[in-house]
Amino acid sequence: MGKKKKRTSSKVWCYYCDREFEDEKILVQHQKAKHFKCHVCHKKLSTAGGMIIHVLQVHKESVTKVPNAKPSRESTDIEIYGMQGIPPDVLAAHYGEEEDDAPSKVAKVDIPSTSLGGVVPGSSGIGYPQPTLSTMQPMGGVGYSYNSAVPVPPAAWAVPPRSHPWYQQYPAVSFPPPPPLGYAQQPLFPVQNMRPPLPSTTSPALQQPSQINPPGLPIFNPAPVSQPLFPVVGSNNMATQSSPFSAPTLSTSILSSSPTEVKGSIDAHSGANTSVTGNYQALSIPGGPLINSHSYASGPNTGGPSIGPPPVIANKATATEPATNEVYLVWDDEAMSMEERRMSLMKYQVHDETSQMSSIDAAIDKRILESRLAGRMAF
Amino acid sequence: MTSVQPPAPGRELSNPPSDGISNLRFSNHSDHLLVSSWDKSVRLYDASANALRGEFLHGGPVLDCCFHDDSSGFSASADHTVRRLVFSYNKEDILGRHDAPVRCVEYSYAAGQLITGSWDKTLKCWDPRGASGQDRTLVGTYPQPERVYSLSLVGNRLVVATAGRHVNVYDLRNMSQPEQRRESSLKYQTRCVRCYPNGTGYALSSVEGRVAMEFFDLSEASQAKKYAFKCHRKSEAGRDIVYPVNAIAFHPVYGTFATGGCDGFVNVWDGNNKKRLYQYSKYPTSIAALSFSRDGRLLAVASSYTYEEGDKAHEPDAIYVRSVNEIEVKPKPKVYPNPPA
Repeated sequence: MGKKKKRTSSKVWCYYCDREFEDEKILVQHQKAKHFKCHVCHKKLSTAGGMIIHVLQVHKESVTKVPNAKPSRESTDIEIYGMQGIPPDVLAAHYGEEEDDAPSKVAKVDIPSTSLGGVVPGSSGIGYPQPTLSTMQPMGGVGYSYNSAVPVPPAAWAVPPRSHPWYQQYPAVSFPPPPPLGYAQQPLFPVQNMRPPLPSTTSPALQQPSQINPPGLPIFNPAPVSQPLFPVVGSNNMATQSSPFSAPTLSTSILSSSPTEVKGSIDAHSGANTSVTGNYQALSIPGGPLINSHSYASGPNTGGPSIGPPPVIANKATATEPATNEVYLVWDDEAMSMEERRMSLMKYQVHDETSQMSSIDAAIDKRILESRLAGRMAF
Repeated sequence: MTSVQPPAPGRELSNPPSDGISNLRFSNHSDHLLVSSWDKSVRLYDASANALRGEFLHGGPVLDCCFHDDSSGFSASADHTVRRLVFSYNKEDILGRHDAPVRCVEYSYAAGQLITGSWDKTLKCWDPRGASGQDRTLVGTYPQPERVYSLSLVGNRLVVATAGRHVNVYDLRNMSQPEQRRESSLKYQTRCVRCYPNGTGYALSSVEGRVAMEFFDLSEASQAKKYAFKCHRKSEAGRDIVYPVNAIAFHPVYGTFATGGCDGFVNVWDGNNKKRLYQYSKYPTSIAALSFSRDGRLLAVASSYTYEEGDKAHEPDAIYVRSVNEIEVKPKPKVYPNPPA
């Protein structure tokens, strides 16, 4: 492990409490356990916002501060996931300070590599905090015995924290660690057994006020969470929907528009809301970023330098679906409104004298007027 | 009264109308709720007490209603009449008529006039203080490009949405011609239009699961703020099911708004921050109308099938009045925390 100053700036760190971690995966697990955990039922959610909504909906309590956070970092408005979402000024300040403290920080970072091996039964952190995912929960619980001192295969992994938009969570550790960059290509969906059912019916429970801004999305910039919550279509020809967030918001449609940089895999997520492509669902869960992230293999099978790009998971099928879903309009009659159509039903026909008389009167008046104009009548 | 599904949140009003609910409105003076229905009645409820206080029967389905003050109101009926309703005496009289069903009615406190829009392609303004009889009460008739579908008032401005996606903006002080003639930004039939309580613009919803947020000020700067968003859609089996957004209601205090669609959901949105704040649990059937009480603490939801799929068996039409929690409607502006000095 190099002890260069540079090294520390490439370490990931937690926005809420400033602790540092070897890699983002562990950072995420830390955040979930310390900052995004429900204090009532201990369920780990995927973001602070998600946790707040869970507490509100399930336990009917309002949470106003992020637990275990430093005083200036307690705001619940900021969307953080791993290293995503950190405001640029905070980010800069952190690294500015890092430079000075480098030596001491590095020392701290040299953690004894203990039995970590067993700890990360691949499952762990990857447990996508999906409330409805019964399969996930146990995993989440089990694996979480990390502390920040988890040693992780270094070097090959030291991915500049900011530059990857994707995290991938692999439930099983069979994937070799991916190269630092360029994973954009890897679809993530642990196809194996993660099949959290995400039927639309459960979505109401998942629906979270769309404050959640899944950081893992393509358009994400570490900077301000300024993305509109609901898929916004500029009336002035804003280009395509930029936020594939439709996933989290129940009733919003899937952003059929193609994702910006990322590939088709994003569409997969978009599809998330439906139960269609089973595998995906789980991941595009509300509040969950997570889409194409790569696991920083910290599991037992992955000690050691990266082997190369992980095998592409076969969900390409859905990933390459055309961007637009077929759209079915419940009311497609442009010529008439629902009320007009309803009014034409027999049971609503107005048969009273008054209206009939008035329409007859109107007809007579009209004829008189026309005749007048034609000059046939004296008055 | 409640169906087999888990009860939708909110208290269900007793003695609901026997057919679909076309609109419901809270009074500006109390928690009285005026409800117009396809069963030809207009009913007045005391929402807090859950009691029916009055009922008026018309010659045809009543498509809209509004309060004048706490003791009287107006109704718009498919029998072409515009009626004035006096609650205390349970009396009503006909203020005037259109040549086709009257679709919307609004009372303007600013102008002291009643405005009605009809499928006869006209807007009419009435002076309700006059004795009844069209010649005494009708102030003016203003032709519209098409059948009027929705209208909304704020201050001195009136927004009229018609078939064919036309939108006319009027200044009530000068009705001779519209202040602005616009076209809806949405590509599909307009369903509902509602002005922002702060008077800067209006929200317009369509049958295609979309709401457009528009501004009156035609300057570049203001027009740059306008946007539209998709909502009330469901994705299943590889296709998107897109529901009409039937109702929009603004919270009187926070300026956030709720939308109700044929999907049975009510969503609350923060238009300024472009976020959805809350989604209430699904109601038994389509949401036909929404109204916030004058203090914003209650939300009346008309869960009433709107015939978007024709005449078919449906859940009973019901009105739910729910207490609104601040967290569901209060905007949460984005905060960028500063790093410690």
